Amino acid sequence: MNIEVINKMKEIAGEDWVLSDLSQMAGYLYDETEPTIRPKANEDCIVVKPQNALEISEIIKYANEKSISVVPRGGGTGLSGAAIPLTPSIIISLERLNNTIEIDEENLMVTVDCGVTLAALIEKIDKHESLFLPVHSGDDGAQIGGLVVENAGGVRAVKHGIVRNHVKGLEVVLPTGEIVQMGGKLLKNNMGYDLMHLMIGSEGTLGIVTKVIFKLYSKMSNTMTLIASFDNNKDAASVVPRILQQGITPLAAEYLDKINIEKISEHTGLKWPLQDGNAFLIFILDGESEDELFGKSERIAEACESYNALECVIAESSKEQRAILEFRSKVYPAFCDELVETLDIAVAPSLIPDIIDDLTEIAKKYNTITPICGHVGDGNIHNMILRVNGEKPPYFEEIKLEMLQTAMKYGGTVTAEHGTGKIKKKYMGLQYSDREIEIMKGIKRVFDPHNILCPGNIFDN
Amino acid sequence: MRVIVLVKQVPDMERVKFDTEKGVIDRKSAGTEINPFDLNALETALQIGEKTNSEIIVLSMGPHSAEQSIRDAIARGAHKGILLNDKKFGGSDVKATSVTICAGIKKIGNFDLIIAGMQSVDGDTGQVGAEIAQILKIPHISFVEKLNEFDCNSLTVTSNIWEGIYLKKVKLPALITVTKDINIPRLPSFKNKMLARKAEVTVWGYDDLEEHLEESQLGFKGSPTKVKKIVIPKTAHREGKMWREDYSHAVDNLIEVFKCRKILEV
Repeated sequence: MNIEVINKMKEIAGEDWVLSDLSQMAGYLYDETEPTIRPKANEDCIVVKPQNALEISEIIKYANEKSISVVPRGGGTGLSGAAIPLTPSIIISLERLNNTIEIDEENLMVTVDCGVTLAALIEKIDKHESLFLPVHSGDDGAQIGGLVVENAGGVRAVKHGIVRNHVKGLEVVLPTGEIVQMGGKLLKNNMGYDLMHLMIGSEGTLGIVTKVIFKLYSKMSNTMTLIASFDNNKDAASVVPRILQQGITPLAAEYLDKINIEKISEHTGLKWPLQDGNAFLIFILDGESEDELFGKSERIAEACESYNALECVIAESSKEQRAILEFRSKVYPAFCDELVETLDIAVAPSLIPDIIDDLTEIAKKYNTITPICGHVGDGNIHNMILRVNGEKPPYFEEIKLEMLQTAMKYGGTVTAEHGTGKIKKKYMGLQYSDREIEIMKGIKRVFDPHNILCPGNIFDN
Repeated sequence: MRVIVLVKQVPDMERVKFDTEKGVIDRKSAGTEINPFDLNALETALQIGEKTNSEIIVLSMGPHSAEQSIRDAIARGAHKGILLNDKKFGGSDVKATSVTICAGIKKIGNFDLIIAGMQSVDGDTGQVGAEIAQILKIPHISFVEKLNEFDCNSLTVTSNIWEGIYLKKVKLPALITVTKDINIPRLPSFKNKMLARKAEVTVWGYDDLEEHLEESQLGFKGSPTKVKKIVIPKTAHREGKMWREDYSHAVDNLIEVFKCRKILEV
């Protein structure tokens, strides 16, 4: 990177907070996107670690002046390559914006700096007797700014929704350098267009989120976790909509097939509580009283039984419930050395049994398997395309396209959680018309006339 | 064969709060659960029971709310539960607790094996199991981490004490305490859980145990140990310091810190 840029960054952020040597920068060039599908990062970059929005604004203004790309970076846990620089770039690591976590008990909201990790935020809120933030993205190292611009999902979204549903306000540095407040501690706001919701899920292309106001929820004093086993995935997937129809809304309704269970056990040494079955459902429930939870659990167990459940067990202690969630969270690490890609298709929840059937059939056609897990209560599943002899198989693009087309057939989406980033942008045309894509590109141009922020995310330049 | 499992109801330690000013545990701040090591004891008993067709009896001492822990144990597979509960038992230390539980065991009678967790997570003494064996005059093995062999006459186990691994065989009747490494406790099936919620728990007070106990051995009177205050250690925080250019001063400083913290002997 040009010495003039390096010196300017040192002038703005201070000498200690700029990395220009490749050996020091290496950890900032990639995210968690599978190595077999991620693009190669441009190494002609500089990493700068500003301490506040004002410094970010200065960096952005300078980048506009010199037409240099800027790639903001949170915890680096993304799965769509959004944080990978494709052109010579200033990488803005937001790790130092991690000082503020202000809980507002009166309004049930929390204001958080973007560089605070999800783990730190949850730890702080957990200390509070009666408040709760239902975000569990699967990786607690994720930073808050990244969670918002990626509109993260994860488990626990059935009852309270995904990140978008919890955000009430944002502080954003625009791609032209202005610092703006979007939303606020407001429950109603109909003034003009809703730019805040445009920013959520924008994958770093429309601005750098520096502060977030989340809505908090009342913490229920009791939680319970149920696991049910089934002989086949059709029964397991079919029962979830029936349960939701009864007015029972669990915090989470998760699906795991037997291949996942065996792989996680082998990889971690952890023991799955049920022996028999080919498909499993996990329900996490919360409520005011034990009796209320037992009542709901009884109805869930009855519904599972009517769909031929083999067994249903219950966990009540924090330790036992956490162990189940931890086991579920190990899906990705267990498979990461064997994966080409994990897809994150979503369809209407009632169509989950059909799409699981179709995906399984497609895999059979290619003489492979596609392990499936997912947030079935949200209609979102993660099915994996596996390596063959450690390599990306020659049919990879073909099978992936076929699976995504299947999601389209059911009116679904290519990506429910991971985002478009650089990995799925070529499938934009599968889900959107040319006109819709042109409108999105127009929005990008209005926000970022010089196309300096995250070029190559969502669309090609 | 009859196996007695000793179970204690403890606060859910992941949710419990400590009142640092008063130096007490705020038990109301969290739900309760079976002491986690006792779940390992119960699982050990269930595994033995499944192969020897044994009767598994859960025995606990505590307030009426401890019936919930006993019902949880029944949901996980125990056949019967007994709670020792009486105002006179309140304030018992390790000794008084052991004496009272021994009275309960004697009243049950004809036992072959007693299994307990290695310690409770709220008291942490790890002494009750061994004291009971001593009072009952039966052999005991503490900190059992593996069940090697068993039949109706003896047990062969691996015990881990003071960084030594011991292979020990004991004739029954005997008592063992188990570590968390011995097994992974099973979860109760939902059906059993619902049935166990209505299960009857036998409650024995002082009057029921009078034959095996003297009043002077109970509660505060029978407890030579007095807990005056619980002190919660302060959390250590990381500290950082940065030196620029004056490196020799930095090295001197570091050596001083390491010596002070007894990391270096210079």
